[in-house]
Amino acid sequence: MKIVGITSCSTGIAHTYMAAENLEIAGKKRNIEIKVETQGSIGSENVLTEQEIADADAVIIAASTSVNKDRFNGKRLLEVDVTEAIDHPDDLFDRAPKAAIYSTAAEVKSEAKVEKSGIYSHLMTGVSYMIPFVVAGGICIALAFAFGGINAKGELASAINELGGIAMGLMWPILGGYVAFSIADRPGLVPGMVAGMIASSMNAGFLGALLGGFLAGYTVYWLKKVLKLPSAFSGLLPVLILPVVSVLFVGLVMKFIVGIPITALNEGITNWLNSLSGMNSVLLGLLLGGMMAIDLAGPIGKAAYFFGVASLTNLGAGETSMVMAAVMVSGMVPPLAMALSSTVLGKNLYSKEEREAGKSAWVLGLSFISEGAIPFAAADPLRVLASVTVGSAITGALSMIFKCGIAVPHGGFFVFLIPGAVENVLLYILALAIGTAVSGFLVTAVKVFSQKKQAAKE
Amino acid sequence: MTEIRDVLKPAFINLDLQATDKQAAIRELANTFVHKGAVTNDSVYLDAVMKREEESTTGIGFGVAIPHGKSAAVTEPSLGFGRSQAGIEYDSMDGKPVHLMFLIAVPETSNDEHLKILSKLSRKLMHEDVRQKLMTVADVEEIYQIFE
Repeated sequence: MKIVGITSCSTGIAHTYMAAENLEIAGKKRNIEIKVETQGSIGSENVLTEQEIADADAVIIAASTSVNKDRFNGKRLLEVDVTEAIDHPDDLFDRAPKAAIYSTAAEVKSEAKVEKSGIYSHLMTGVSYMIPFVVAGGICIALAFAFGGINAKGELASAINELGGIAMGLMWPILGGYVAFSIADRPGLVPGMVAGMIASSMNAGFLGALLGGFLAGYTVYWLKKVLKLPSAFSGLLPVLILPVVSVLFVGLVMKFIVGIPITALNEGITNWLNSLSGMNSVLLGLLLGGMMAIDLAGPIGKAAYFFGVASLTNLGAGETSMVMAAVMVSGMVPPLAMALSSTVLGKNLYSKEEREAGKSAWVLGLSFISEGAIPFAAADPLRVLASVTVGSAITGALSMIFKCGIAVPHGGFFVFLIPGAVENVLLYILALAIGTAVSGFLVTAVKVFSQKKQAAKE
Repeated sequence: MTEIRDVLKPAFINLDLQATDKQAAIRELANTFVHKGAVTNDSVYLDAVMKREEESTTGIGFGVAIPHGKSAAVTEPSLGFGRSQAGIEYDSMDGKPVHLMFLIAVPETSNDEHLKILSKLSRKLMHEDVRQKLMTVADVEEIYQIFE
């Protein structure tokens, strides 16, 4: 018989190891092949491999702390206090093979089958920590619009607006930080968060923050391997050397190597857009619309947005800008399209977390917070970005064809509600609906297609 | 290389504990830490140990107890060993008196080397022959030999 186990206690100094040893002694006596992973204050040691877990007849968890059981889905699992393994290990060997089969909630099974390995799992770790920040920040901003109008007037509304901005702004360091955390454990967090913050400050968008997270994670992973210090100094590694070296290296690379092309891209596009004056307005709408979606508030989207804002500066009283209108409405498409796909059209293509994020993406989209689509885009960049870009471009072009115009740079649906604020408001809503539907169906279709292809391979 | 001697110093070994009840025995052994400066404030440290005892007894049975406390009052990771032939009333898991007591003191932050020593020692204690030898050893050197 083969058995695997985990031991863990609250201080992680003695009981963890005594329990492990006693299980091993008792197992040997009964000719049971046993391996015990210890989760103590030194960290996890003697870590169980996937193969060992797959081969085991039963799992024993002897712990007085909460141990993550995700790895043991479908195994017979006995969970007891750590002292039981010290006191009567024999008894545990009798009980474990008869223990109930552990299954992570039925929910998991219905979810999209995802390959949880390597780069993808790091990506998902970052995204799952980021989602609540996007949701909290976005909803707060929407609330501020609801209370105080599109300029969030009034003390309460402006305070909520500020809160929303702070929560939203934290999404970048959280994304970068937890991607790196997933790769390199705790020491990855610092350079990852710094890299995310830098990406945010130089308008590198979520792709920049992701890149920074991966850079930070693998840098620390590598540093941990090559830096070998005499034991007298080993205590300095996690508190002084790793944080400082990794932040310096990752930060400088982000700033001077990654940053240069991104800043150049942003400036280049801005100049290029400015040179386009006199271009056919429908083509311009198509172009701006696509740009608003292609990197979701990254360097390209930001350039398009500020081009729209610039068009407001020389408006006379009572005039509206068609350019700004096209920019805003197409920026609303990505989150709305992802909400449509994840909560209506293709629910089972998304994880539970994503479906929850999808519900709030409705609100975020209506509030012109394109970031609402980022959790989806970060998890599956190519398919999501391509799909939302198509719909956004169509919406941008339609907005121009319908000659819609606005005079404010933000507010989303809250602007629609103000009588007279939007030229041709009904057609404006139609343009939004068409683009949302196109992108929503498109992203659902490509996801279904790719899953079928994946299934055929297996 | 950190060794068992760096943690379990000769001064922390008492082969003939006088106390017969749990609290007094822990205090008796903790005093050796204070003398050597390994613990700066014994009442803070003892509070941490007794708090841990309240969670669940560290009298793990077979006459062994491993009371431990993590506290800022600890300056360096230390291990004390006390033996009582008569036995200490300890409220152990198996209800029997304790003859071998290992008192562990860990600072709030400590390096892994020391914790590894403690984890190895904890594992050793689960072996019956180790426990029997500990009951009969006469001097400090022999104790080190058992653990090395």
